[in-house]
Amino acid sequence: MTTVKELPVQDYFTSGHTACPGCGGAMVARIAMKVFGPNTVVYHPASCMLIFSSTYPNNAFKVPFLHVLFENSAVCAAGIKRALNRLGKSDVNVVAFAGDGGTADIGLQALSGAAERNEDIIYIMYDNEAYMNTGIQRSSSTPFGAWTTTTPVGSVHAGKVEFKKDVPRIMMAHDVPYVATASIAYPTDFIKKLEKAKAKKGFRYLQVLAPCPTGWKAESSKMVELARMAVETGIWTLMEYEDGKYTVNRTPKFSPVQDYLKAQGRFKHLTPEDIKKIQDWVKSKWEKDKALEQVYK
Amino acid sequence: MAAQALAAAAFREGNHALAFPFFGAERRGAPVLAFARVDSKKIRQRTQVYKPDYVVVLDDKLMGYVDVTAGLKEGGTLVVNSPLPPEKIVTERPVKCATVDATGVALEVLGVPVTNSAILGAFAKATGQIKLESVEKGIMDIFGARLGEKGGRKNADAARKAFEKTTAGMSVGGRKFKPVKKWLPDYKELPLSLGLRVTMTEAGRVGPGSFDVNKTGSWRTFAPVLDDAKCTNCLICWFYCPDGAVVRGEKHVSVNYDYCKGCGVCVEVCAPKALKWVRTEEVEEKLPSEAIA
Repeated sequence: MTTVKELPVQDYFTSGHTACPGCGGAMVARIAMKVFGPNTVVYHPASCMLIFSSTYPNNAFKVPFLHVLFENSAVCAAGIKRALNRLGKSDVNVVAFAGDGGTADIGLQALSGAAERNEDIIYIMYDNEAYMNTGIQRSSSTPFGAWTTTTPVGSVHAGKVEFKKDVPRIMMAHDVPYVATASIAYPTDFIKKLEKAKAKKGFRYLQVLAPCPTGWKAESSKMVELARMAVETGIWTLMEYEDGKYTVNRTPKFSPVQDYLKAQGRFKHLTPEDIKKIQDWVKSKWEKDKALEQVYK
Repeated sequence: MAAQALAAAAFREGNHALAFPFFGAERRGAPVLAFARVDSKKIRQRTQVYKPDYVVVLDDKLMGYVDVTAGLKEGGTLVVNSPLPPEKIVTERPVKCATVDATGVALEVLGVPVTNSAILGAFAKATGQIKLESVEKGIMDIFGARLGEKGGRKNADAARKAFEKTTAGMSVGGRKFKPVKKWLPDYKELPLSLGLRVTMTEAGRVGPGSFDVNKTGSWRTFAPVLDDAKCTNCLICWFYCPDGAVVRGEKHVSVNYDYCKGCGVCVEVCAPKALKWVRTEEVEEKLPSEAIA
């Protein structure tokens, strides 16, 4: 297994891109490209990352890169892979990087179709928990209570009313070879999962928590800390579903959720009742995760 | 928001005013333009301002990249956020110039390096075209609506403080700028479905992996400075840097200031505390000449 020090010096996601300072998505792309290497084709739907990494005629990805539409990332990536196979280049990794909006909402039907056909691609969702590109609108992956421009804080509702959509479990229902969640705050776990995804055949889905300083209204320097707190509070589970076996990779410390919520402006309006609701949600989520571990041994 | 607040201030003095921004696909911290047009008569012109009477520069590092006096009218005034006196400001030609350490004021009054309210105080002092009281009211109108009464008040205070600290004089001419070249291919030169290989054009490299032609070093307000002796070469900062601005070395890492946007992630994750957080002006002389000029 590769350690941080053994990662290649060479970047295949170059400097000079125009992401906000401290962008979690840029961290995800840079490390993922180090693992996947030059023998890769990247697909991007409309997303914040598309805008900051590829402003025609410049592009931050040092590999062939394609963008078609918002809703068909998984299908386009699958098409690229099939074409490459036809050309006798079946050893090329095809990776789709999509945001949470492009995955959980707009890209979901294409994603489900490609997963059902077990297309031989890697799909990475960098989850910054809202449509950040267009100016912070809620997605189905936005967590409960979070302020966005479409879930404003008012007298009737304050922040998002619904809980976050669990896309990894939707992907598990497709019984694909590899489904995993990761966080940038755990480098070893993250690199291991990227390498597993790279090595396997068939449809591979990886969801990485990518804190967003602008949308989360937090200090840009605290991004890694936030990604760690999300895991330690139990809000973000590090899991893996590999060839039918479900594993939780890390038992959280279950530190109180308000530590994580307090550090972000998007949660600053939450009442003690809201925080309790989130704490209870964490508990039930953990119980479900443990039960799944029993079912998928 | 500064242009809006200025327009609001001018409006309160009985003028007609327009304010609008121009920005590309960049994100927070990237250089942007904003315009304010003020007249005692009704304003019919809706274009960007190409020949301004006044130019306000919120980040003096930009002056190394962009000829800020290019469109400035003869006899016009340049207002710069800089701790330096006007006599130390180098522009393409000598112009009337006023400076204020707006970043210092913002850090002191607001606690964050957001200088757009403070600089308006300097504008009022330098140009004499608008009363400080009107600027404060304009700030309350625009900033107050976004940040609430208290937040608006704080920003108005920042403007007042900057007003007091502004010094006026003349800048020094003689800075040379390379002519800006753009790659503007016609439809015959563009490849099918816009698919580009790595290509050299008159404006530099384009295609996959060519974004490194875009130096993002001008974005930062704070810079990480490394204490070589304390660095254990654990590479955790190198792992996390979203801009690939940490460079690996034999014994210790180093920072590539051409690209560092100053997010501070490296300073936070550094276990031996080898990285320090310093305001960019204090490390400027250490930076590679290419990055600042």
